[in-house]
Amino acid sequence: MPAVPPSPVSAQGDTGVGREPVFRVRDLARIYGDGLATVTALRGVDLDLFPGELIVLLGASGSGKSTLLNQLGGLDSPTRGTLFYRGQDLGSADEAALTQFRRDAVGFVFQAYNLIPSLTARENVALITEICRDPMPPEEALELVGLGSRLDHFPAQLSGGEQQRVAIARAIAKRPAVLLCDEPTGALDVQTGITVLEAIERSNRELGTLAVIITHNAILADMADRVFTLSDGRIVNERTNAHRGSVRDLAW
Amino acid sequence: MKLLDRKLLRDLNALKSQALAVALVMACGIAMMIMTRSLILSLETTRDAYYGQNRFAHVFVRLKRAPNAVRDQLAAIPGVAVVQTSIAMQVTLDVPGLVEPAVGLINSLPERGEAVLNRLYFRAGRLPLGRTTTGELAVSEAFADAHGLKPGNTLSAILNGTKQTFQLSGIALSPEFVFEAPPGAALPDNKTYGVFWMPYRELATAFQLYGAFNAVALTLAPGASEGAVIAAVDRVLAPYGGRGAYGRANHPSHRRVDDEIRVLQGLSIAFPLVFLSVAAFMTNSVMSRQIALQREQIAMLKACGFSNAQVGAHYFKFSLAIVVVGVALGVLAGVALGQRLVEMYHLFFRFPRLDFLLDTRVLIAAALVSALAAFAGVAGAVRRAVRLPPAEAMRPEAPASFRPALAERLGAARWFTPSLRMALRNIERRPVRSALTCLALALATAILIVPSSFRDGINYVIDFQWDIVQRQTVTLSLVEPGPARAIADFRQLPGVVLAEPFRFVPVELRAGPITRRLLLQGLPERGSLNRVIDAHSQQLALPARGIVISAKLADVLHVRPGDEVIAKVLEGEERELAVPVAGLAEDFAGTAAYMEMHALNRLLLEGDRINGAHLAVDSSRWDEFLRAVKATPRAGGVVIKNLIREGFRKTTAESIGLLQKMYMLFATIVAFGIIYNSARISLSERARELATLRVLGFTRGEVGAVLVGELVLLTLVALPLGLVIGSGFARAILTSVNTETVRLPLVLTAANYALAVLVVALASALSALLAARKLSEIDLVSALKALD
Repeated sequence: MPAVPPSPVSAQGDTGVGREPVFRVRDLARIYGDGLATVTALRGVDLDLFPGELIVLLGASGSGKSTLLNQLGGLDSPTRGTLFYRGQDLGSADEAALTQFRRDAVGFVFQAYNLIPSLTARENVALITEICRDPMPPEEALELVGLGSRLDHFPAQLSGGEQQRVAIARAIAKRPAVLLCDEPTGALDVQTGITVLEAIERSNRELGTLAVIITHNAILADMADRVFTLSDGRIVNERTNAHRGSVRDLAW
Repeated sequence: MKLLDRKLLRDLNALKSQALAVALVMACGIAMMIMTRSLILSLETTRDAYYGQNRFAHVFVRLKRAPNAVRDQLAAIPGVAVVQTSIAMQVTLDVPGLVEPAVGLINSLPERGEAVLNRLYFRAGRLPLGRTTTGELAVSEAFADAHGLKPGNTLSAILNGTKQTFQLSGIALSPEFVFEAPPGAALPDNKTYGVFWMPYRELATAFQLYGAFNAVALTLAPGASEGAVIAAVDRVLAPYGGRGAYGRANHPSHRRVDDEIRVLQGLSIAFPLVFLSVAAFMTNSVMSRQIALQREQIAMLKACGFSNAQVGAHYFKFSLAIVVVGVALGVLAGVALGQRLVEMYHLFFRFPRLDFLLDTRVLIAAALVSALAAFAGVAGAVRRAVRLPPAEAMRPEAPASFRPALAERLGAARWFTPSLRMALRNIERRPVRSALTCLALALATAILIVPSSFRDGINYVIDFQWDIVQRQTVTLSLVEPGPARAIADFRQLPGVVLAEPFRFVPVELRAGPITRRLLLQGLPERGSLNRVIDAHSQQLALPARGIVISAKLADVLHVRPGDEVIAKVLEGEERELAVPVAGLAEDFAGTAAYMEMHALNRLLLEGDRINGAHLAVDSSRWDEFLRAVKATPRAGGVVIKNLIREGFRKTTAESIGLLQKMYMLFATIVAFGIIYNSARISLSERARELATLRVLGFTRGEVGAVLVGELVLLTLVALPLGLVIGSGFARAILTSVNTETVRLPLVLTAANYALAVLVVALASALSALLAARKLSEIDLVSALKALD
């Protein structure tokens, strides 16, 4: 475990100077259960995340990174502390408000892709574009992830990497403010993982989306603007890369 | 308890609402089977015991009049065991509290000793004592109940033109009058028709019949031929105006009980099978899903050394638990409903006691059939599960593969929303399951059509019988056929607007080997009161030559218009006449034959004679009219149309209402159960997909729509299909109860269809909502996790 003490991190001195953060997190804690069965998943996290950043969250299993991602994505509410998305208090938002937040602002990419098996690639994307305000056409989103030629294939007819890229297309088609990726390459081989990460990076660069990637693969750290390392529910390290490496140049 | 059984209990607990839904549908089938079979057993057992104890006769005959000595000739007929002669007379009654006159059938009791046949059972009081006291009557229970009469009460009757007051000695039941209805009526009318008994001497004296009889009942010796005895009896009684002997099969009361048993037999097979099949299908879908969810557990069990038989038995026990609950609920419901129906039967059938007898053999059979159905439902899924090699089962099932739905392949795709596509493709991927779900919903819709079509059919009959056919206010009959000029007397009664005469002649109609006895009605050629109506609801003019008969009678006799039938006159001088069938009449209760009145009298070689008249009476002078009728000695019978109509409506409304409620409950349970189960299985199979949608920003309502979309589509197909199947059910059941005593037309109304659609749609919607509430329990975070 790194010996660096947890620091109330602010990136304002670096990439985020003078800009309004997308997320402002203060003293965020999440405790599950009570009594003897209490599990503290997050114990006081402070964080500001800015538009256009590519963030990598590193940490071992149980370090709290998934819990943090769930909090950012409006899937769960904090036990303590505050969580603001562009001035909106997500910590005290109700179920309907959180659903609306996810619908308008968040694109999710899951490790297991989570495509609807009965819909084609195009339809899986269209499913989401139909419910949001300013989507891009599904075909354009799939083009962005390099799947322009496989629009009408069902999930069962696509490889794992292709399925994951459909999931990314689905996430970015709504032009989300935030793209949250939970181990997006966890189930993929290296070569396929690279194409998937390129798709995420490209949408981050071209659409200015704040992208947050959870991984326990430390190699990915080099493609980020900033890297946070979590351990035991705390941020134990923050690193700012002066220069973002391209995905292909990472030390695979 | 073995650990595997403990697992079973906990799994059952987790699946309790679905298991209960299956058990309830199964319970419906079992309840219906037990109810109907037990009712058949109750009716048959009670009837046979009653007939035996009270010595119900085998052969019956009415005649004009024969001296008592003829009894010995009858007793001497080979094959006759016991003969009982008596007098039976129809009289007009004056019941306290009843404005309208009622009709009574008074039977004589033997002068000495107890009756040897058709013995009475006394509910209260005792036999009338002819020799010591005069003026005593025993009254039938149905009539006494309808009027609140008790032993000691009095009522008046006009006997052969003389009004006499009688005291009621007791309330009695007779095996001859289990079903106590006026001759020719399909349903009882206990307010205006009653049966009475009085000592022979008194009745015979009043009608100047002392030393003679006009009714015979007899039993057959073991092995005797009923046909031969009937023929011999007819020969003996021919000189005495015998009206033709008949066996139990033609006895109106006996036959009505038989008809009822036949209807129950029809209902006891088809409907329970429907429910049990649906339950088997539901067991299959619940268990298939359960086994799919427990693939890894099954693999682990097998890897640890459990045998295929042990694993298989574990899942069979699961369905056995459902069967046990279903059978228990079904038996309870069947007994409860059966008891309600037995109470209803008291309205129609008068037995000393009619108790609900649980048919235990059927109970065991029902339990076995349900267990078999459930096992058949689960066998395939268990076999697939135990066949799977453990290593393969440890891996999650391969993702489902889909393709565009047929409608899309045909080019309709662009109008479909993604949720509609999901629904269509899911249906197409599981065609058998979808078809069975659809069929089960259709059957739920179908069973609702049946009781409503009964009700609509009866309403049609009521309107038809009493607005189209019988337009008279009242029918008055003479004690004896009289000269046509008697009509003038009727016309002079206060308030009479129109009077049309009629002639009734008892005949036996014969075509080939088939014979039927009935009253041949002579009516005016084109009357305005009692009319003869054809199949197109048009009035038939009675021709100068030929006979018009009920379409049903034509069926039974295998004759068509133009064919000849032989009419044997059973009154006065016996003669046989060949008459052509001139037309077919539409009617629903009993069978009838009509001739133009003058033509009939000519055939009988009689002058113009009538039996009575149908009258239209001014309602403002109704009370005055009734007082006059009660005081008219020549009027032997009075039938008031509206009274019969109301009685009919009330009794049928009660029984149909009960039936309708039962079927509605059953249909609701099936629709509810099938939708709830399908939705829960879908929820379980697609939990990850639905959770993903929630994470992606779909509201709970939107995800709910995706979940139930498939079921909505299936319901939309099932409803019209159910209406078609239900109409078929109604037709089949109505055909099976299409007897000579009562028939119902198939009437299918928009209201009937609308109610069925409404009930099933509501039950489906409610259960879908209930299942969709489980969506809130979906763990959104789990969707983010990888499949392990």
